[in-house]
Amino acid sequence: MTGQVEIRGRLPHRFPMLLVDRVLDVEPGQRITAIKAVTCNEPWYAELGPDTPPEGFGYPQSLLVESWCQSAGLLGTWDDPNPDVLSGKVMLFGSMSGVQFHGQVLPGDVLEHRVRVSRAVGDTVIFEGESLVDGQPVLTVASVVVAMRPAEVLRPGESASA
Amino acid sequence: MTVDTPTRAGRRATPLAGPVEVTAVDGPRGSVRFTVAPEETVLPGHYPGFPIFPGVCLVDLTHAGALATAPAEAGEVALAEVESTRFTSPVYPGDVLDVDLDWSQKKGSWICKATVRSARGDAAKLRLRYQGEVTA
Repeated sequence: MTGQVEIRGRLPHRFPMLLVDRVLDVEPGQRITAIKAVTCNEPWYAELGPDTPPEGFGYPQSLLVESWCQSAGLLGTWDDPNPDVLSGKVMLFGSMSGVQFHGQVLPGDVLEHRVRVSRAVGDTVIFEGESLVDGQPVLTVASVVVAMRPAEVLRPGESASA
Repeated sequence: MTVDTPTRAGRRATPLAGPVEVTAVDGPRGSVRFTVAPEETVLPGHYPGFPIFPGVCLVDLTHAGALATAPAEAGEVALAEVESTRFTSPVYPGDVLDVDLDWSQKKGSWICKATVRSARGDAAKLRLRYQGEVTA
């Protein structure tokens, strides 16, 4: 099991955008299983008023994808992590396709992200997988393409192709 | 037509703190605008000392625009799939983002194609699939 100390040594994300709580197991270059617990104390819920319908408390689908992608980021950089976005090589998410939502995620749910490397060519890695809550799929991901690029491409004024 | 569409203060949880403004609606096409304020909730953690507006927030912004411009005949729409996205350039605090949306029906679903632009050009292209009432 890998906890926050190791995760923070591998990912540059921090509160409120560090969306992986724990890594359950990993086979570098192959697959990873990671979890994130959803709580109503996350800032996205702070200003929901009394007129919010039950479905309004669904965990943002965009952040469900982000949490899965951060798990992919851990897998993709497992043997060569770089928690600094200002130097070295950074992992850029260039494109994704076939990202399907199968059910709502609510505060109290624990997401189990399963990510697999489907292809790796040079500095480009393609991931696939799914996220489960209580064993039921809430997200399936056909393809997320990431590329390792020099950190300079993220700076304003520099050209970024991905 | 300009309508302020509440996001976080309204009816769903979202990582976007600022308002999403509908700037145009013309049949199946619409546009929304969003300013990435330096105070946006996500920025302190993405990343500390080097804020970049996350790509998934462009997905959330497009989703907000889709909810605000969905054709009336679609009824209540629900995001079923991010069919495709391509992120082409980073977005920074202070950027004003314009999102052009184009709705169509396909195989029992509603498709929303969108382009997100900043002053530096295209930031992302997206194709979102929604479940809703289908008329064609």
